[in-house]
Amino acid sequence: MRKSHPLRRIVLATAATVSGVVLLLSLKPGGGPAASEATGAVPGASAGARESAQGGQAGGVPAGSATVTGNVVRTEYGDVQVRITVAGGRIVRADAVRAPRGGLSDTKSADAVPKLNRQAVAAGSARIDSVSGATYTSEGYKKSLQSALDRTEPAGASAAAARASADPSAPRTVTGDVVRTEYGDVQVRVTVTDGKLTRAAAVRAPQGGLSDQKTADAVPKLNARAVAAGSARIDSVSGATYTSEGYKKSLQSALDRAGG
Amino acid sequence: MTTTLAGGRAARRQTMRRIRPRRSPAVPLLLVVWAGAAAVLWLWWHNTPSIADDTARIVNAGRITGLLAGYLMALVVLQMARVPALERRVGSDRVARWHAMSGRYTLSLVVAHVFLTMWGYARQAGRPLSGLVTQTVESVEQLPGMTKAAVGTGLLVLIGLSSVGPVRRRLPYDTWYHVHLLTYAAVFLTFWHQVAAGNDFAVEPVATTFWYALYGGVTALVLWYRVLVPVRLNLRHRLRVEAVIEETPGIVSVLIRGRRLHRMGAEAGHFFRWRFLAPGMRFSSHPYSLSAAPRPEMLRITVKAIGDHSAGLRALTPGTRVWAEGPYGALTAQRRSRGKVLLVAGGVGITPMRALFETLPGAAGDITLLYRANTTQDLALWSELAAIATERGARLMYAVNSPEGERPDISAENLRRKVPDIERHDVFLCGPPGFAQSVFEALRDAGVPARRIHQESFEM
Repeated sequence: MRKSHPLRRIVLATAATVSGVVLLLSLKPGGGPAASEATGAVPGASAGARESAQGGQAGGVPAGSATVTGNVVRTEYGDVQVRITVAGGRIVRADAVRAPRGGLSDTKSADAVPKLNRQAVAAGSARIDSVSGATYTSEGYKKSLQSALDRTEPAGASAAAARASADPSAPRTVTGDVVRTEYGDVQVRVTVTDGKLTRAAAVRAPQGGLSDQKTADAVPKLNARAVAAGSARIDSVSGATYTSEGYKKSLQSALDRAGG
Repeated sequence: MTTTLAGGRAARRQTMRRIRPRRSPAVPLLLVVWAGAAAVLWLWWHNTPSIADDTARIVNAGRITGLLAGYLMALVVLQMARVPALERRVGSDRVARWHAMSGRYTLSLVVAHVFLTMWGYARQAGRPLSGLVTQTVESVEQLPGMTKAAVGTGLLVLIGLSSVGPVRRRLPYDTWYHVHLLTYAAVFLTFWHQVAAGNDFAVEPVATTFWYALYGGVTALVLWYRVLVPVRLNLRHRLRVEAVIEETPGIVSVLIRGRRLHRMGAEAGHFFRWRFLAPGMRFSSHPYSLSAAPRPEMLRITVKAIGDHSAGLRALTPGTRVWAEGPYGALTAQRRSRGKVLLVAGGVGITPMRALFETLPGAAGDITLLYRANTTQDLALWSELAAIATERGARLMYAVNSPEGERPDISAENLRRKVPDIERHDVFLCGPPGFAQSVFEALRDAGVPARRIHQESFEM
C-alpha cells in the first residue's frame, strides 16, 4: 500500500514513458528511409528514370486535405517515392517513403531527403532545387512529388491545361484553373512577356458579405506580389488565407500553362 | 468425542465444497492491455522508415505519444463502461482507481502530444519555439479534423482540472460528475483527427480498421452496460421505497421493494448505484451496499447521513420510485479461499459485512465479525448482528472508544489474542480509509497474507 504513494507513481510513470520514447527514437536508424514499405507492386524493371504508375490513394481526393502517395520513381541508385499531406491547397508535410539505400546511398539519402522534404513544404510545389551530390535522388523525388501533387488536384482540371506555345518573347495572356475555396471561386489571369510574369489579375474572387471587403483588400496585394516574385511562391495575405491559397494555386496553374 | 470430531470434519468439508474461489481476471486483462500498447508502438515502428534529424525526432515523439494517448483514451472510457467482468470480478473500487490513474496519464500524454507535434511542425516550417502558438493556430485551421480535436482537447483539459484534488473537493459531486460526462464528447471530437491526420492511419488501412474496431467496441459496451442493461433492470424489477428506518442517530436503513429481485443476480457484499426519483435527488446516483442478503421481494441499504444526498434519504416517502444500477462490487463470498473468515467493519462499513455475516457459508466458529464504532450507540444493526451470531454460532466482537474518548488499540497482538489462528483466515475489510489502512497493516503484521485481505475502498 505504501508502495503506491502518488508522487512515486508519477515519477515512475514519467521516467518510464520518457525513457521509452527516447529509446524507440534512438533505435530508429538515422539513415535514409527504409524501403520496407510498399503500397503497390512495381511492374517491370528497367534502368533510367522511368515512372511506374502506381495506384495508391488515387485522384479525386478533395483539395481540402489529404495524404497522397506519389509514384515510385526508379533512379540509377534505387527507388524514390514521396508521400505528401495537402491541406488548404498547401503541402503541409512531405516524406520520402522510399529512397535509395545501400553503400554511399544511405548517407546521401540521409542528407538529401530531409532537405528535399523541407523544400517541398516551403515551395508548395515540385519546383525545388536539387540537392548537390544527390542529383538522381533529387530528380526522382521531384517527379514522385509532382505525381503526388497531380493526384491531389480535382480530376480533369490539370489535364485540361492548354499548352499553346508560340514565340516565347511575345506577350501571352493565360488564364489559370478555377480554384474552389471555402468562400468562393478564385481564378487568375497572367500575362507573360519574354518568359517573365508582367501582369497578374484575378478574374474571379470570393464575393458577398465580408468577402467583398477582403477580396478588395487582398487581390491587389496578391497581384503585386505575384509580379514581384515572378512565381507562385508568394506570401498569403493575412486575414484572407483561403483566397490567397486559391490565388496561388490558380496562379501556379496559369504559370504552368504559360511555361509550356 | 469422536463423533464431534467427525462431525466437525464433515461440516468443514461441506463448507469447503460451498467455497468456490474465483481468480480475479486483473492479471490477464493487464497483459492484454500491455500487448495492445506494444502493437500500437509496433505500428509506429513499422510506418517510420527513418528519423533524419532532431526535428523528425520531435515530430515522431509527438506521434508516439499521440498513438498511445489515442489507445489509452479508449481504455479509460472502457473502465467506466460498468462491464460486469470488471465491476464484479476485479472490483469497482480497483477499476475506479485504474480509471483515475490511467486518465491522468492519458491526459499527460495528450498534452505532450500536442506540444511535441506543434513544436516539430514549427521547426519544419522554420519557426522558432516562440512561433508555437502561430503554428498551432495554423495547424488547427489547415489539418483535417483539427478544429474538432482542438475543442475536444480543451474539454479534456477542463475535465482534468476539475478532477485535481483541491478543485474536486470544492466542487459539488454532481457538478464534477456532469463535467466528467463531457469526456464522451471530448473522446468523440478527438477521434476524427486521429484517423484523418494520423500518419500511421494514412498509410496503414489495417490500423484504421483496428482503431475503428477499438472505439466502436468501447462505444457498444458503454451503450450496452450503461444504458440498455440498467433500463432493462429497472423495467423488469420496478423498485420503490417501502420504508425508511432510523437505526441509530445519523444512520438510516431504506427498504426497497421490487419484483422478482432474486433474478437480479445480487449477492451479499454487492452494492448498487441508487437514484431516488424524489425532488432534489433525481439527478445524482450514489453507491450504497446492500445491508442484508437480498430477498425475492425486498432489498435493504443502510446509509450514514453525511452528505446532502444521504441526509435526504431520511425524508423519502414510501412509494418513491427508485432507479438502480448494479449489482456491482467484488467484496463477495467469491473472494474467499479458506474455511475461516474474519469480517472487520468500521462505522457504516458494517453494511456489506452485515450481509456477508448472514450468508457466508460456514460451520459454527468459522465466522468472526469485528465491529469498530465510536460508541456503543453507534453500533448500528447491533441487535440483528447479535441474533445472527447466536443462530449461526458465529463470533461477534466490537471495539469502541473508552468513556474518556480513547481509541481502541487494534494492533497485531490484540488481533492475534482475539483470533488466535488469524493467519488461517480470509479477512474482509470495509471502513473509512484511515481505519482500513491501519487495520490492513495490523493484519499484515499478524501474519495474514495480502492476497487474503479483501477490501473495498472508494477513496482515490
